[in-house]
Amino acid sequence: MDVRLQRINKSFGAVPVLKDVDLVFPSRKFVTLLGPSGCGKTTLLRMIAGLEDISAGSIYFGDREVNRLAPRDRNIAMVFQSYALYPQMTVRKNLGYGLRVRKTPATEVDSAVERVARILEIDHLLDRKPGQLSGGQRQRVALGRAMVRKPDIFLMDEPLSNLDAKLRVTMRGELRRFHLDLNATTVYVTHDQLEAMTMSDLIAVMHKGVVQQFGTPEEVYSKPANLFVAGFIGSPPMNFLEGKIDSGRFRISEAALPLPPLTRGIAPGLDVVIGVRPQNLSFVTSAGPNALAGIVSLVELLGSEKLIEVQIADRKRISVQVRADSQIHLGQNVHVEFDTSSVHVFDKLTEQSVLEAMR
Amino acid sequence: MTRYTLWSATKKAALYLLLCTVTVAVCFPLIWALSTSLKPKSEIFATPPTLIPHSTTFENYEALLSGRQQYYQTGEKSQAAGPTPAQFFTRWFVNSVIVTSGSTLISIVVSTLAAYSLTRFRYWGRNMIPYFSLLGYMVPSIIFVFPLFLMMVRLELTDNLLSLVFGYVCITLPFCMWLMWAFMRSIPIEIEEAALIDGASRYQVFANVVLPTAMPGIIAASIFSMIVSWNDYLFGRVFINSLDNLTLTVGVMLFFEGTHVDWGLLMAASVLMTVPMAVLFMALQRHLVAGFGAGAVKG
Repeated sequence: MDVRLQRINKSFGAVPVLKDVDLVFPSRKFVTLLGPSGCGKTTLLRMIAGLEDISAGSIYFGDREVNRLAPRDRNIAMVFQSYALYPQMTVRKNLGYGLRVRKTPATEVDSAVERVARILEIDHLLDRKPGQLSGGQRQRVALGRAMVRKPDIFLMDEPLSNLDAKLRVTMRGELRRFHLDLNATTVYVTHDQLEAMTMSDLIAVMHKGVVQQFGTPEEVYSKPANLFVAGFIGSPPMNFLEGKIDSGRFRISEAALPLPPLTRGIAPGLDVVIGVRPQNLSFVTSAGPNALAGIVSLVELLGSEKLIEVQIADRKRISVQVRADSQIHLGQNVHVEFDTSSVHVFDKLTEQSVLEAMR
Repeated sequence: MTRYTLWSATKKAALYLLLCTVTVAVCFPLIWALSTSLKPKSEIFATPPTLIPHSTTFENYEALLSGRQQYYQTGEKSQAAGPTPAQFFTRWFVNSVIVTSGSTLISIVVSTLAAYSLTRFRYWGRNMIPYFSLLGYMVPSIIFVFPLFLMMVRLELTDNLLSLVFGYVCITLPFCMWLMWAFMRSIPIEIEEAALIDGASRYQVFANVVLPTAMPGIIAASIFSMIVSWNDYLFGRVFINSLDNLTLTVGVMLFFEGTHVDWGLLMAASVLMTVPMAVLFMALQRHLVAGFGAGAVKG
């Protein structure tokens, strides 16, 4: 079932939290609401769940407007950040509660609970209480409780944030598999861009209550709509340099770097910010038209790669990602070359991508 | 033995000595009452006094529970003395049970619902009400007695157990509400939201999820309310004037009246009066600590 959000607005008192959110989540897709703390992503999820009133706008599940529908009538399931298991009930009762309150016959409840418990490999924990489970086990019970009812829409509010790093990686894959098994539309909230990139079919990047960009992970990564998205997506983060456009080139201090052909139509003298990912920079032995001179100020070993921080003119710093075996030393004089085709250009004033506007 | 271990052993010994002294000081009156209640009349005033009776008798308990008071003097003189406190003991016991359970039930139902409302719904003053209610608890109960008495007169409830039930609710409800409010605040709202999404109605959420989770708080508030109601003397003394409607605390005082005090009987009555609260307290003390603890941390 697809989910449509039409001009959704939300304010708490006089403070606006969501502004004119317009989104369509296609049926059976894994959609992630991604953004920093306080961007309104959880509020939006809670509005879809019916736990939060809508100040203005409409939410549709398929063709049905659900603004005034109670959570119980929306056929949704939700996994909370804190798991929100019923502490006094056993795992079996936790899993079956949703079916029991809907007056499902006891035999059906039992078989559904056991089926889900087997899938999630928690069948040996059915008679324990939540307090006797580890974080990972609780997380599985919370998932199981959501799965047992076969919901149309599956909502998840940062379900992995309380797990340790290793378990989180395992659960990412499992969540993706559960989504495929469930055949439901999944709306997932996270502030972790890695989770969003690895699990989602579509990502809505949010900031200050506004959807900054909505697209596939590839789109938000390779064609960021604005400075915020460019800076938020990608690890290590994108390098930004401020300068001016001058006859198809980007002028920064003494250097004039060539820009992608598309940028030739930009008005000369426009103040811009260019963005280049550390992966799209490399070291060259001699100065060239595409290269900036600088001194290595920091070397960080990331495992299979090294992150090199280079101080260029005007005390600006840029990061370059190279292979771990590269022989780059602290204090070394280097020349950093730009891969022109992967340079992003943003209007300094509006912060919007100039390239995307011209495409 | 090193100097350090010697010092730590001495400290431990001093601590245990202190704890033993306090325990004996606290428990001695109770043990003495139990001992006296089991002594025959001849041994009660024996010199030197005996802590462990030479010969044990249950005649005092029998007298209280069967309502037959035994006198030193028999015959016409005792007949003329009128009804004896022992005759009413079981009646007063039942009265105490009725007013204690009635007031506790009302206090718990009202305070639980009020606390749920105060912590889950948004309205003006919801943050102030718990503190003001606690302020009400801080006022000495003697200040409430006369206005309440006048109210009971208007309601024609004097010398009626209902007057005590309402009176006790007045003194226990504020603290119960504050305790339940602190406890309810510590229950994460997500578990209620999870139940709402699971398909539960508001009532089902309250009954299936909130109440069982709040049970330690409810038990703590109940014990508090029962102890206050069971031990009250003031309200029972002011609101009730017939022997039939007295509660234990006031009734037991009548064992003192007259020219002769039957200490064995009085002590047996005291022990019997202590038993229900002691048993209740021992059975539920684990929850009591959990309940007060939860309130203290989150409140």
